[in-house]
Amino acid sequence: MMETMEGVPLGLYLAVSGALFLMGLLGVLIRRNPLLLLLAVELMLNSANVALVGFSRHWNVTDGHIFALVVMVVAAAEVVIGLGLVVATFKQRRALDVDRMTVLKG
Amino acid sequence: MGEQILFGLASGAALMFGALVITLKKPFQATVSLIGCLLAVALLFLGLSAPFVAAIQVIVYAGAIVVLFLFVIAYLGERPLPELDNPLARYEVVGWVALVGLAGQGAVLLATSNLTGLWDQPTRPDDIGSPEAIGRSFLDDYIVPFEATSLALVVAAVGAVLLAKRGVRAEGGR
Repeated sequence: MMETMEGVPLGLYLAVSGALFLMGLLGVLIRRNPLLLLLAVELMLNSANVALVGFSRHWNVTDGHIFALVVMVVAAAEVVIGLGLVVATFKQRRALDVDRMTVLKG
Repeated sequence: MGEQILFGLASGAALMFGALVITLKKPFQATVSLIGCLLAVALLFLGLSAPFVAAIQVIVYAGAIVVLFLFVIAYLGERPLPELDNPLARYEVVGWVALVGLAGQGAVLLATSNLTGLWDQPTRPDDIGSPEAIGRSFLDDYIVPFEATSLALVVAAVGAVLLAKRGVRAEGGR
């Protein structure tokens, strides 16, 4: 049996993580500016990182930290491509509104 | 005791800045709020005895990624979005219902989960968050994902360059 310490239980970290994720989801649902949409996606990725690192401490393994770092790399790649698309859309003088990007609509 | 205080401050700040990110109308203000949220999450990582992940969070997220956002916002200029009619307004109720349903699900799951030690005091972890432990884990157990991330970064860089080149050509450049 491992020694316990004064601290915050895993459940509270998971609750904060869930609340942050719901905020990000709400942002994706209600925002129409693609820049703000990407910001909300970043919130969701961060909430996942909190849960991953929390579980990592709970099971006393490093794997969650590795996952969190990989998530950060994926977030960086996603932001680069997303912002590139935003700039490309802006250059074609279209409105920055995800509800109006309907060229690919069947 | 220290972790409780840190957790209270950091989680409160993270939730407050998160709410600001999704409510502020101007992209610049929302991005600055995101910096606050990311720093608060880095404090949460410190409380979870993950100093290396916290440092990377500050350097890569709050440093590099947010600066990229700010560059693009400065480049596009601060234009308020005209209030257009919302063609998807009738689906908004469905979105809220889905959100409340998901929140309820999460609450029920947390309240009824039989995961051992979910609400107990945490056990003191070994040396799992130091740069040495993370480096060993990457090179011993996760070498393939490690190389895959570098591949993902190269693909993203090439994609960004291609997107930017096409944009220049549309403007009449080479």
